[in-house]
Amino acid sequence: MASNPLARRILSLPTQLRCLALERSLATPALRQLPASRTYATYNTNFNTTSPPQSSVNHEEVSHFNALASSWWDPHGSSRLLHLMNPLRHDFIRKCANSQGGFQQEKLKFLDIGCGGGIFAESAARLPNAASVTAIDPTPEVIAVARKHQRTDPLLLEPNRLTYLNIPIEQLPLPSSPEQGFDIISIFEVIEHIQSPSAFLESILPHLKPGGWLVGSTIARTNVSWFTTKFMAEEVLKMVPRGTHEWSQYIQPQELREWARRRQDLDMTVGGNGFQTMGVVYVPGLGWKEVSGSEDWGNYFFGVRKLE
Amino acid sequence: MASRPSMAKLLALPPSLRRTVFSAAQSTVKNPEIYDLVCIGGGPAGLSLVSALRSNPSTKNLKIALIDGQDITTTRTPSDPNAFSNRCSSLTPSSVRFLKENGAWDHINASRTQPYHGMDVWDGVSGSKIQFDPSDRVGGSILDTIAQAIPRSRLSESRKKYELGRDATVATMCENSNLTSALLHRLRETALEFEILDRTRVESIQLGPEPKDESSLDLSQWPIVTLPGERNIAARLLVGADGANSPVRQFANIPSHGWDYGQHGVVATLQLDQTFSEGEMRTAYQRFLPTGPIALLPLPGNKASLVWSTTAPLATKLKQLSPAEFTTMVNAAFRLMTVDINYMLTDASTNVAEELAWREPNTKASETGLPSYFPRITGVQEGTVASFPLRMRHASTYTGHRVALIGDAAHTVHPLAGQGLNLGLADAEALAKCISRGVEHGMDIGSCWCLDDYNAERWAANNAMLGVVDKLQKLYSASSGPIVWGRSLGLDIVNRLGPLKGALMGAASAS
Repeated sequence: MASNPLARRILSLPTQLRCLALERSLATPALRQLPASRTYATYNTNFNTTSPPQSSVNHEEVSHFNALASSWWDPHGSSRLLHLMNPLRHDFIRKCANSQGGFQQEKLKFLDIGCGGGIFAESAARLPNAASVTAIDPTPEVIAVARKHQRTDPLLLEPNRLTYLNIPIEQLPLPSSPEQGFDIISIFEVIEHIQSPSAFLESILPHLKPGGWLVGSTIARTNVSWFTTKFMAEEVLKMVPRGTHEWSQYIQPQELREWARRRQDLDMTVGGNGFQTMGVVYVPGLGWKEVSGSEDWGNYFFGVRKLE
Repeated sequence: MASRPSMAKLLALPPSLRRTVFSAAQSTVKNPEIYDLVCIGGGPAGLSLVSALRSNPSTKNLKIALIDGQDITTTRTPSDPNAFSNRCSSLTPSSVRFLKENGAWDHINASRTQPYHGMDVWDGVSGSKIQFDPSDRVGGSILDTIAQAIPRSRLSESRKKYELGRDATVATMCENSNLTSALLHRLRETALEFEILDRTRVESIQLGPEPKDESSLDLSQWPIVTLPGERNIAARLLVGADGANSPVRQFANIPSHGWDYGQHGVVATLQLDQTFSEGEMRTAYQRFLPTGPIALLPLPGNKASLVWSTTAPLATKLKQLSPAEFTTMVNAAFRLMTVDINYMLTDASTNVAEELAWREPNTKASETGLPSYFPRITGVQEGTVASFPLRMRHASTYTGHRVALIGDAAHTVHPLAGQGLNLGLADAEALAKCISRGVEHGMDIGSCWCLDDYNAERWAANNAMLGVVDKLQKLYSASSGPIVWGRSLGLDIVNRLGPLKGALMGAASAS
């Protein structure tokens, strides 16, 4: 009975505050107590323990992105900010490669995980240095949208240039040898939608070629990011539908670095360039801008290199 | 008879729908060739866009076709070194920089171009003057602050350029044919696969066919250009560099707003009584008459280019004059009071030479504002007197899905500031930059994600320039009353404020 008055009081708050209060009371204390040893516990909504292999997919997220599918390529739809961010993703990949003196190979094999409607996958497939792009997403509707849009560009229909698969990463066949792996694996705006990021990241690494880069982007879990992504973007400006973001699943760059440091197969040499981050901020009217230091409180890119 | 009602129903639809229905019904396009960029119009804007793309490592391998209904590959520059085409443009320093970066400027016949270093502009009614000369460009001012406050404005960039630049050139006079053949030379030099389809009339532009089934290529949102011989070209990006009546703009349903000034621009190549050697400082002159501005722009040696904006009836009359009478009228238009000019032009019985001979000595230069070193015009090159109607037009946007407009297809401006061609070159430069950024980031260069920046960069800048030129035109069309007092006061004040003029010149030259 003791929890009832508290619950009632929380429920009487306005929605956005209620979310915050709820997240604060449930999620954060646990994280605050054990910041270095966050366990990325798997509370998969898929309780069917008999189905191997376990999927990283969060089914609520799948249905949310299903609803988003139709507006994916609408220039004024809710994916507008992702479209605007896309050029920076390429800039960041170049930054990662340049930290090692550029790419050694002329043509690169890309794997885009959580490709959605194909914003990044299409753009990677158009690059002159793309050998092939494989793009996967567990939501069938977004893959349908992506395939439909692919048909509007003859270049993307060239054999092997761009292949969409409606599967989670666990179902992607492993490369026959490490050398057959991908040069670039991208997980843009994905890990904040995954319930067990650690297990998810570990399932990706076998697909990465030695010397290749795992790059991604996400949002740091701070008051600022709650204010901008949950409160402003979802509630006030309604730039994206409510429920697009799950603030408690946002990840700090130092948590990622910590995770990478515990992996033997990643290039985390002290003082080396094997771990890269870049903070970006959306400035209305100007677009996305790189702001150094902003990775600690807002949207940021991360890249980690697999040891050769 | 059966088709009558359906035809009537079709005609009752709004034009945009009608076109869609009609072209969908007509769409019999089979296996179109696929190009990355198709540019319709081989004028300076279109050619400079293509040559800019060819000069950039990221865009040089795009598959490009350039289509023009006229013969653009045969050079039309007069072979006589003393004869000049009447179609000249005043290239601003930033246009010249763009052409140098493209590698096209190396192919310009420099002996046929003429830089000028000062501008004398005066009011035909009050005699107030404003002198543009490069020494005014020094010094910071409140304008710098304003320039910095407006993001993406070219004002600050141009201010900086002028302060840093050691080149004291206001602009460079160049025949359009000289520029066109330099650009073509440059394109041939790059030796990359590139198709110039000149003397080729575009038969139609329509959207591609609906896809056959759920898995086949869908070109239904691609513009398909149909050429003679049933040749169909699908364009990832269709660029309209096809002039004021742009078929590309009409295809994209982009409205273009503006008005006719009811004026004509009379052009001619003139001879002067002074011969200038290469490297001498030259000046451009412009006098605002109530019927429109008259400008004398220097060409090499003793030549000059005339642009006389005037009413349509007067333009017709001027074109009918004998070369001697025409020469006299041009002298009169720069030297006499406006009332005398009107009399000479409207009274059919006058002998213009006699009229000028007795009216000029009775006119004080201090009253007309005539510069003391103003040359006398001694003749007109045969066959160079021509005229064209003056308009102001601005497309409501420069981009659509797989469509971009540049140059006159996007805007038509009054020639009083000599900006038309420069705006077109600036469009080409900005669009080439957007395309190269698009290619480097894997964008579809026909999508709004790639083209929005071009529209954002050029539309507002051109709109500001069109607005200023239009207001100047209106301001100087008044022949009496408070507007004249006001504007002469304004011009005098502007003349005393060096930095303001510097900024005005900078902005004018930067675009």
